[in-house]
Amino acid sequence: MAELAEQSVTDFFTYPPIGGDDWRYTFATAYVRALETQLLSRATLLDMANAENFERAADLLSAGEYALPQANRSVAELENFLRNKRSAVRKMFSSLMVDEPIVTLFRTRDDFANMRLAIRRTVTERPLGTDYSDDGNVSAELFEEVFEQENYSLFPDYMAEAVERAVLAYYQNKDIRRIDYAIDSVQAEYNIREAHRLENIFLLGFFRIQIDLTNIRTMFRLKFTESDRRDVFLQGGFVEPDRLKHGLDLDYDAVGQLFFATPYHRLVETGAAYLLSDKSFLRTEQQCEDFLIGFLKTTNQITAGPQPVIAYLLMKENEIRTVRLLLTAKRNSLDTKLILDRLGE
Amino acid sequence: MLANVNATRMELLQLRRRVTLASRGHRLLSEKRDEISRQLIKIARDIQPLRKKVEKELLETFRRFMLARALMEPEDVKAALEVPTKKFTLAVEFASVMNVKVPHLLKEMAGEIICYGFTATSGELDVALLALERAFDDLIGLAEKEKQARLLATELNMTRRRVNVLEHVVIPELQGTIRFIYDKLAEAERDNTTRLMKIADIIRA
Repeated sequence: MAELAEQSVTDFFTYPPIGGDDWRYTFATAYVRALETQLLSRATLLDMANAENFERAADLLSAGEYALPQANRSVAELENFLRNKRSAVRKMFSSLMVDEPIVTLFRTRDDFANMRLAIRRTVTERPLGTDYSDDGNVSAELFEEVFEQENYSLFPDYMAEAVERAVLAYYQNKDIRRIDYAIDSVQAEYNIREAHRLENIFLLGFFRIQIDLTNIRTMFRLKFTESDRRDVFLQGGFVEPDRLKHGLDLDYDAVGQLFFATPYHRLVETGAAYLLSDKSFLRTEQQCEDFLIGFLKTTNQITAGPQPVIAYLLMKENEIRTVRLLLTAKRNSLDTKLILDRLGE
Repeated sequence: MLANVNATRMELLQLRRRVTLASRGHRLLSEKRDEISRQLIKIARDIQPLRKKVEKELLETFRRFMLARALMEPEDVKAALEVPTKKFTLAVEFASVMNVKVPHLLKEMAGEIICYGFTATSGELDVALLALERAFDDLIGLAEKEKQARLLATELNMTRRRVNVLEHVVIPELQGTIRFIYDKLAEAERDNTTRLMKIADIIRA
């Protein structure tokens, strides 16, 4: 496990190892294998992208679980429908997982998102409100109570640490973005730490890839906005931050070469070319998503274990996002080329 | 013709002065009308391409924003855009164009428009916000020009009506009254002459 934590990006070909079988998950794995067959096929997604209008695109989903009511198909209703779908998937994930700490770990994503909102509101003296996500480990009501009383000891340790670092970072130069950078950093560290504690090779690989992909996207975004920030890269990925910092000084054409020895070479090269020609991050984000999905799909080789269940959760969340993208794009008559660019070839 | 007018020589002289003044006012207002029309056409020519540009830019911004919104989780969108860091102030100064006070908008922007971290947000949101920032200059320019055009159009309409009133009502009315007084005075003159001739005949007889 310790060796894996120190593993460099050149130590594997495309994806890092995902660990072995865990026979406690026999039922759960069989269950998600059956559900995986019901995931929307690429052909359906392409048909939706090429549909004439929103109604036609929505009709393509009418036979499956995404069937929308005919009467009310407003944006708010659609958003609510997809949010409920996501909550249902997460609930199912919680019920299938034998290891409760893994469920807690995935719920922290919503805790950190809620915290970003709460700290921003607190430092800018806005009303705290209760409009927080309910899918986290900490309830929306507790959020309001803790921030009103400023009693952060009521939070779990990782959240108390995040609050402390975020508030300190903000008051260094009263830059609101520092809150996000601090929370992102605590979240990445916490994920890696928990993966170590759980001795889960798959989660470790997943979080390290996620950090790499976030860092690559950040590098492109910093280049695009011509920002001189160098301290926003997350620690703990396979790619060393110096390589990313060096990438900021290179032209878009040369960035790909910098990642030649890494599995991200194609992703970076394609993303840079598209960013240069279309001034958009759609292809970069699509490539990052495909890379991550590719990693999740390697869990096919696992007969029984938490890996396929986690992979299913993440793939399903990705599918919900894709459906939201397609329906929003169709609702607003966005160019089909843009949608196809985001979906990939 | 004006009502309740005294048919006196004094009144005739006053009316003649008023006609001269009205004619000069008519000429000046016609010139003002022509100049406002010229300015208005110039502004309208500028507005057309600017409006097209702004609409295109806003459409692009809207598209990118919709994409970003669809790609991000709803709670992340809310957290990212809840507290903006860009400060925007707008001051209005007035300039005079043909005695019409037209506004000149002065904007002041401080801070960065990207007000969120990179992990939970989409790059398309950066693209959308930067496009919106770029569109702002043109948007303010367009608002300024459209307001100017609207004010000039109102003034043009008013001036045109004044010119028309002078041309078709005031001056013809004054000229009609002058003609009436002139006729009245001529009639009185003829009366006097006839009366004097009759008296002379009586004396001679």
